[in-house]
Amino acid sequence: MADDGEWMLESIAGYLSSPDWIIPIADFTENNCSVFDDEDENKLTYTEIHQRYKQLVERLLDNYMQEVGITEEQFLEASSALTVNKTLQAVFQPVLATHDFQMFRSLMVQKNMELQLQALHVIKERNGGLPECLTDGVDVMSELEKKEMNILQEVLRRSKEEYELEKADRIQEKDETASTSSSLSEALLGTACDSVNGINGTSQENELKEYGVLKTSPPSCERKTLPALRPPVKGSGPADHMTSEILSDCDSSRRLTDEEGLQQRTEYLKQQRDKLHALKRDQTLKTPTERAPVAPDPRHHTQEISVEEKKKLQKRKHLAEKLKEEVIKK
Amino acid sequence: MGEVQKGLFSVIEKLKGTTEQELRIVLLGLDNAGKTTLLKQLASEDVNTITPTQGFNIKSVSCDGMKLNVWDIGGQRKIRPFWKKYLENTDLLIYVIDSADKKRFEETGLELSELIDEENLKGVPLLIFANKQDLATASPASEIAEGLNLHTYRDREWQIQACSAVDGEGVQDGMNWIINNIVKKK
Repeated sequence: MADDGEWMLESIAGYLSSPDWIIPIADFTENNCSVFDDEDENKLTYTEIHQRYKQLVERLLDNYMQEVGITEEQFLEASSALTVNKTLQAVFQPVLATHDFQMFRSLMVQKNMELQLQALHVIKERNGGLPECLTDGVDVMSELEKKEMNILQEVLRRSKEEYELEKADRIQEKDETASTSSSLSEALLGTACDSVNGINGTSQENELKEYGVLKTSPPSCERKTLPALRPPVKGSGPADHMTSEILSDCDSSRRLTDEEGLQQRTEYLKQQRDKLHALKRDQTLKTPTERAPVAPDPRHHTQEISVEEKKKLQKRKHLAEKLKEEVIKK
Repeated sequence: MGEVQKGLFSVIEKLKGTTEQELRIVLLGLDNAGKTTLLKQLASEDVNTITPTQGFNIKSVSCDGMKLNVWDIGGQRKIRPFWKKYLENTDLLIYVIDSADKKRFEETGLELSELIDEENLKGVPLLIFANKQDLATASPASEIAEGLNLHTYRDREWQIQACSAVDGEGVQDGMNWIINNIVKKK
């Protein structure tokens, strides 16, 4: 009898370590663990999942006993011997979890965390880094907010382009109205721009304002289409400088956005732009004189943001690294 | 298959190697009766940050060499149909009543009588907490007992205990009844 018991114990332990047992149990936990968080309160679905888990274990053990040809009594007797053996106890844990909800819950929570970490790992390996929404710490930034950020970036980018065009136009205008002093005013403008470069205090709000301001001069845009005018060579100098910056900015923003959503975003952007258009047109009708002095300022804001953005990105990456370390250590 | 489970259960008890015996207690009652507050009071936890329970809470309390596993299940109307999934193998039912919510005495009485008829709770001892005695408008426990026709319950042990889960008043008396009538008889 003692020999019998020993043989059975080995057989049971062997079964509990075999793929016949491990795979269905692992499948079950992996497929059902996503709802298990480590909140204090349990969800009602936990009970339902626990119930299904019990049924699965019952079915597996039933099959096993039939296959091996042992009775329930024999099985139970042999299993009792497991109490003595610590290493076998661990193997038996998934069985114990059928009757211990707390144990089952902690198994599921643990599995959920494992999968999340794995997912993070995969994302990082594939993209070389974590997306912004993940590096921000806990998922503070929802999908929607992320989209909004991308849209905002796109808006800013376009505003730059628009500003560029407008600037070129203004130069044309100047050339036309005061052709003799054009080179001088150009140079002045250039140095003024450089001197303001160091000024900080950029905010998205500012950017938007700027954008609005830029949109205020549809008439000048129209003028550009006039065939008689030709942009002077000198005027294109600073403009080129700007475009190169814009391009680099565009690159970074493109990297963040995913190709799929681009179409959608452009749609949305167009709407936003139109709204801003309308808004700005109204404003300019009221205060047409303010337009000219405000215009040169924003350009430097746009330069600033790229630097600031980079700093922010650096910070976030750092934070993410820290966070990950903590989680893994835990 | 049912037998396997029963048998497995005893094996598992052994496997856990717990010398402590365990008691399964289910804590039920209408929403806002104070079940979770009572649970936290039992577990000596902070009772100031409690929100309506959408699911259920479990706390284990050691008591007289016995481990009491207390299951507190949400009492909102939409959750009540789930109560019966938690009644299996229950050793004690604790039913909590908001003694100041006179408008819902009838409703709480109906829910209780339905529970009493549950097959899984046949003969299971019943402890009723007449909670919120700290409120001026609270009805006394005796009045509530009468309203619930508790004296007609002859198929089980029962007790009604006035208490205030928020400040802990009367909670220990209820626990003493549990110890004297259930734990010691096990």
